[in-house]
Amino acid sequence: MTLQAKPHAEESLPQTEFTLRVNGRDHPLRTDARLTLLDALHDRLGLTGTKKGCDQGTCGACTVHVDGRRVLSCLTLAAQCDEREIATVEGLGTEDELHPVQRAFLEHDAFQCGYCTPGQIMSALGLMAEGRAGSPDEIREYMSGNICRCGAYQNIVAAIRDVAGTEDGGRADDVPQAEGGRP
Amino acid sequence: MTTISRPRLIGPGINRVDGPLKVTGRAPYPNDFAYPGMVHAVLVRSTAGAGRITEIDTTAAERSPGVVSVLTHLNAGPLARGPMTPLGVSPPAPLQDDAILHYGQIVAVAVAETFEEATEAAYAVRVGYADEPAVLDLDDPRAKVRTNPWGRDADRGDVPVALAGAEVVVDETYLTVDNTNNPMGPLTTVARWEGDTLVVNNSTQWASLEGAALAAAFGIPEESVHVVAPYVGGGFGAGLRVWQHVVLAALAARVTGRPVKLVLTRPQMFTACGHRPKGRQRVRLGATREGALVAVQHEARTASAVDDDNFEPTASVSATAYACPNVITRDVQARLNVPVPNSMRGPGTATGNYALECAMDELAYRLGMDPLELRLRNDAAVHPPTGLPWSSRAHKECLERGAELFGWSRRTHEPRSMREDGLLVGYGLAAVGYPWFRARCSARATIRRDGTAYVCSAGTEIGNGAYTVLVQLSAEALGLDPGQVTFGLGDSTMPMAPQTGGSSLTGAVGSAAHEACRALVGAFTDLVADDGDSPLRGCTADDVEPADGALRRRDDPAVHESYRDILARHHRPDLSADGESTPLTADELGMAPAGAFGAKYVEVRVDPDLGRIRVARALSVIDGGRIVNEKTARSQIIGGTVGGIGMALFEETVSDPGSGRIANATLGDYIVPVNADIPDMQVEFAGSWDRANPVGTKGIGEIGLVGLAPAIANAVFHATGRRIRSLPITLDQLL
Repeated sequence: MTLQAKPHAEESLPQTEFTLRVNGRDHPLRTDARLTLLDALHDRLGLTGTKKGCDQGTCGACTVHVDGRRVLSCLTLAAQCDEREIATVEGLGTEDELHPVQRAFLEHDAFQCGYCTPGQIMSALGLMAEGRAGSPDEIREYMSGNICRCGAYQNIVAAIRDVAGTEDGGRADDVPQAEGGRP
Repeated sequence: MTTISRPRLIGPGINRVDGPLKVTGRAPYPNDFAYPGMVHAVLVRSTAGAGRITEIDTTAAERSPGVVSVLTHLNAGPLARGPMTPLGVSPPAPLQDDAILHYGQIVAVAVAETFEEATEAAYAVRVGYADEPAVLDLDDPRAKVRTNPWGRDADRGDVPVALAGAEVVVDETYLTVDNTNNPMGPLTTVARWEGDTLVVNNSTQWASLEGAALAAAFGIPEESVHVVAPYVGGGFGAGLRVWQHVVLAALAARVTGRPVKLVLTRPQMFTACGHRPKGRQRVRLGATREGALVAVQHEARTASAVDDDNFEPTASVSATAYACPNVITRDVQARLNVPVPNSMRGPGTATGNYALECAMDELAYRLGMDPLELRLRNDAAVHPPTGLPWSSRAHKECLERGAELFGWSRRTHEPRSMREDGLLVGYGLAAVGYPWFRARCSARATIRRDGTAYVCSAGTEIGNGAYTVLVQLSAEALGLDPGQVTFGLGDSTMPMAPQTGGSSLTGAVGSAAHEACRALVGAFTDLVADDGDSPLRGCTADDVEPADGALRRRDDPAVHESYRDILARHHRPDLSADGESTPLTADELGMAPAGAFGAKYVEVRVDPDLGRIRVARALSVIDGGRIVNEKTARSQIIGGTVGGIGMALFEETVSDPGSGRIANATLGDYIVPVNADIPDMQVEFAGSWDRANPVGTKGIGEIGLVGLAPAIANAVFHATGRRIRSLPITLDQLL
């Protein structure tokens, strides 16, 4: 039995030029067109808060916002994001001045190893912006794209409840909103 | 041993000291490290399940854009196998010959300037195989079998006679499947050589072993290997062995002369860094009509890889679980053409306890007895094999307190007798115990001129809360505020520490840190021994106690001097001391050192038409000895509970019966619990300080998972009347 190699190019593929606008800052890039948004953020721009958990769109660790919507950056080609508004965990609070969602995750111990945490937090912000934080069951359902193998789910729900409250259906005003958001 | 006055059983739930770094995405995990000139390595894996490589053609791969090197068994050169460890042999050295031992074995590594280019080159490697039939079945007569592989088989009393004479007997067989650890952080090695020194950023739960194994692989002194792992994206056992890809990343760095990053893909996480191996267990229980156990015979057959002896003591759970005069346990390991397994949270214990606690439930129904009553009646008040008192045990208290909190008395005994909202309701329970494990450990404590402290040891933080509880324990031993203490972990140049495994880290590092801090207090009293300006002149370490950043005389607390003042007057920038903890044996202690105990109570709801199962409630009452931090401890238990729900209802690594190819090697196909699968979970701690270690803890990293599977299986029986004797329990089995 022989594994057939796929035909391959002898030379590098044409490079693609585009600009990633991340947390309000422009980053011109010239890269291999196959580069994912995740690898562009993590490896090229050094924004290592966005994590690779599966590289297959099944775990949510790489969740970022593109034009205000939560997306899986591992399933998004970087070149598709030319001049779109990208928000990552680095655009939230700092260690000394945490964003309210980061603060709530800390207080409720909503993480253990911390690897899925930036994705959970970006997803939590997305869910509040979508008005999907109205009840524990709703939070559980709409946070189910973010796997936490340490099993902090109960505390993640508590943290989001803490920030979102219930009266406004979980809409948070302090979610970073991108201009020209897409439906 | 000098002990300080004992704080309360359950310590304050301060926030994780590493929390701000983690919630801001700034905690550096191994794959966050990058170095100038770094290249990327991507693995090529076998598509044959057993046999030999007949040809391997790297010509196309080497011509692929950006490629720096392609490694195979033809050019890798000799690499020595790592050392024997308490968890078994090290995995075989990679790329040493043409033998294929399992589907997915690493056969080549492509190294290129970018990850994309390395991935493309890996696809271009052509490999031909001479297939041989893969031995994959536990009962295949071709499989090599090891009996009593860990020397833990138990023989107590006369089981055949006791079973023959028992008034009631249960004799059932239970099956468990392969599970895969799947920490969220893909295992990563970033390797680079600085002259003759190998430096690796690596996903490991055992930095000290990693250093020793890499030194062995390359024939260099251990001091020439520096392993760095300040943060690891989970492990659940996956980081307890030194895997082939770690050695290959280091080899690629040596061959290319460049830093190399190798990140396992998620599918590779199913073959390259272990799994919980499948097994079959037969449990025979004999009892009197009143429910007193007279015989326990527990036999387990678990899988391992062809060239491996993975530590998975399963049947031995029954040697210590209950007071019973006649006990036999037998563990057997069958070597199959499967990837090398490893410990997965609660290795052996999670599966062994599953079979035993299901059988106990079956016995309760044969007796017409409350399953809780059966456990209480057979409680092992002393350590059954030796008759020694336990160093601590609140097992009965866990069971009784759990029953009260859970509302067990509302349960009606008959299966299918409870319904709500059109759903079948079932209550189930399991009693649990976790084996005691401790290893030697060292630590170093330093107090600086500004009065702050730095304590370190080569243990690892994998989400266990190690940084936080070790800061708390060190602060307590030095009389400082937790905010004044920093703890260093995850670096092989720090004092030697054992693995973050076996629920042993807090006990090991905590005790070593305690000893280091005590020694440091002694260093301070030594410093002022002849110091006429010090109010502590002439004091020994035993004469003083640390408090509020100072040492004060025990016999006169008003007499004290701060660390800062002592260091300033002696013109010292800092003062350090080393400490080591060596666990005492049962003989030395005059008692049996105890692991954690607990009780798990579960309510399930089953749709009578569709068979859909949901866990509605889960309660754990845990005797973990002293709990250092209530918040992180609770998280350990609820996290384990989530893992246990996965084991019970979702997780199964499915492989092709002909080749062993894993058919569901993604997180979309290998089902793990997600947020919507998890109910409200309740945790309570019981018990007392453990007497076997100076900091009073017992270790709770694994007991959270143990017992969920049998409690759920027993609850499903109670809800439906269907006794499912295999995992995972899925809806099709209930239709």
